[in-house]
Amino acid sequence: MKIVVLSGKGGTGKTTISTNLAINTKNAILIDTDVEEPNSHIFMKPEIEDTISVTKDYPKVDIEKCTLCGKCGEFCRYNAILPAKNKVLIFKEICHDCGGCQLVCPTGAIKYEKREIGNIYCGTSKYGVKMKYGDLNVGEVSGVKIIENLKELVENEELVIIDAPPGTSCSTVAAVEGADYAVIVSEPTPFGVSDMKMVVEMLRNMNIDFGVIVNKAGLGDDEIYEYCDEENIEILQQIPFDLEIAKLYASGSILSHEIENYREKFELILNKIKK
Amino acid sequence: MDINEIVIISGKGGTGKTTLVSSMVPFLKDVVIADCDVDAPDLNILFGNEIREEEDFVGLQRAQINDDMCMKCGQCYDKCKFDAISEDIVLDTGKCEGCGVCEYVCPVNAIEMKDFVIGKIFVSDTKYGDMVHARLIPGEEASGKLVAQVRKKAKEIAILKGAKNIIIDGSPGIACNVISSVTGVNQVIIVIEPTLSGLHDLKKVHEMVKRFRLSEYIVINKYDMSKVELQKIEDYCEKEKLKIILKIPFNKKLVEAITKKTIPSLYDSEFFKDIGFEKFLLSLK
Amino acid sequence: MKIAVCAKGEGLKALVDERFGRTDQFVIFDMETKEVKTVENSAKNAGVGAGGQAVRILNEENVEVVIVPEVGPKAVDALKAFEIKAYRLGESKTVEEAIKKYESKDLKEFELNVVKGGLRRV
Repeated sequence: MKIVVLSGKGGTGKTTISTNLAINTKNAILIDTDVEEPNSHIFMKPEIEDTISVTKDYPKVDIEKCTLCGKCGEFCRYNAILPAKNKVLIFKEICHDCGGCQLVCPTGAIKYEKREIGNIYCGTSKYGVKMKYGDLNVGEVSGVKIIENLKELVENEELVIIDAPPGTSCSTVAAVEGADYAVIVSEPTPFGVSDMKMVVEMLRNMNIDFGVIVNKAGLGDDEIYEYCDEENIEILQQIPFDLEIAKLYASGSILSHEIENYREKFELILNKIKK
Repeated sequence: MDINEIVIISGKGGTGKTTLVSSMVPFLKDVVIADCDVDAPDLNILFGNEIREEEDFVGLQRAQINDDMCMKCGQCYDKCKFDAISEDIVLDTGKCEGCGVCEYVCPVNAIEMKDFVIGKIFVSDTKYGDMVHARLIPGEEASGKLVAQVRKKAKEIAILKGAKNIIIDGSPGIACNVISSVTGVNQVIIVIEPTLSGLHDLKKVHEMVKRFRLSEYIVINKYDMSKVELQKIEDYCEKEKLKIILKIPFNKKLVEAITKKTIPSLYDSEFFKDIGFEKFLLSLK
Repeated sequence: MKIAVCAKGEGLKALVDERFGRTDQFVIFDMETKEVKTVENSAKNAGVGAGGQAVRILNEENVEVVIVPEVGPKAVDALKAFEIKAYRLGESKTVEEAIKKYESKDLKEFELNVVKGGLRRV
């Protein structure tokens, strides 16, 4: 079973929820797909057993074979390849690795080479839970490939908890795709509700069942409850706003590990989902 | 035309970027606002704006397969590197990255690359100045192009109206949409919280930002959350010669303000005075 | 020799544009024939890689020198690869002014040494 934890708005508690869920669930493996700003490992403190480099192909032009005909530049829709006076310029970071330039080259002058865009780290956390997370290199424009690789690595696992990136863009879609259930973590503020609506729209388009966890409950107003009521959305759990929790988070501690009654709360969430 | 462009980003989401941007706006003279957090645009909630212009935003062209002409030869399925075409030649536009390879290899011209609307750009009137904002259709590529478009529109309006400042609310992360928010600005403010993850994210964002030659400032929000983490951040900033330009303690009233859909610096002006907000704004000039 | 200036508008009286890759137009002046031509910069609509495309457009017009306010790293690579010289715009406000300053050798050449990433400002 694949459970994805997402939020729309950043900072609502995705990582708090996904790490606590992972710790309180037997045989769960946690994957952190927020590859631009991975955080789960800060709380899970895994001992890294394996590092996998993630690469993308980019074109390399054999200048002996190249006739500077310009067809590759004409074809590329990303402006990543630019035939100039005596050579062909390649802007690697914006290349989408589509293979088109090689196809259109009349002299077979284009070959592909690999370059690293980030890494995947695999390990076991100090709490005994297995986890993997991805880290996109600074300067890269998209982390989608790392997210896809992460998911491939856990394809045959029994229970996977996926910590998704914030927002609703292509990275989040890549993380969410194929999940059996989605947990939306939101906060009862206007920004929280507004961003949650976008996530709901996205999940409905993708036909994925979902429920909501209201985090920092008590901070804000009731708009979120009204919305969930109107839309028939199940609220799985509420975590009250509590400065103690915030302090634990600040120091990188896991909530349910430190505060006993939260462990129950998280077990309850999983039971509801399993139904 | 010396228009000052300032962008506020955060690396990690939820640190108080939008709270800060909205609080700054009433104090910036002749300002145009650009909400570049295109997959979670929130500023409009606080500014009570009236949309006066809206236009479709077309991203990269996407493939369209004409089933009547399709011979099911499978060339497109074979060559598509993004798994956007299934074995029985059904196109998943969501996965299509608009490269054009399928159109090129189709032996019967059954595939055409077509314009595809992936969002909308809005121009609104607000009490403090014009605001340009956008909405990406959920699931679409967080294109730097849409962000660039929002910024371009904001610049056009600023030049037209003789504005002095453009303030940009950026998005979380470090990828193309953020890079697009930062290119060509004069000043960057990075908002962070004193948490273990906050420091980790600051390091990544700073790595990205320092490639651009511009003034970089740090704002620490909820700084009283953790003494230990605050110290680590201060140490890091000192090492990297980063200026911490403002420290904001936790204040429940700020959330209250947002919940009431009002601008925090106007709602609890005492608080903002106490934290030295005026001095902060002056030091940006 | 053809020289181009980043512009907003047409002809010699046009105001200079403060960008290169996404400039609105290029006003191209032929120093021998004194012909003036305004070319739309289609690169301004590119999602990414505008700088490289703008240089390609200049090359198509046989421009040898361009007067720029700033250049991004892709533009720098492209200018070098197409052997087009760049000069810093300085204080000029119109295309005419910029060209006059170039002719009287008042403009500084842009050293096209690439520094990784980011925009360079004049």
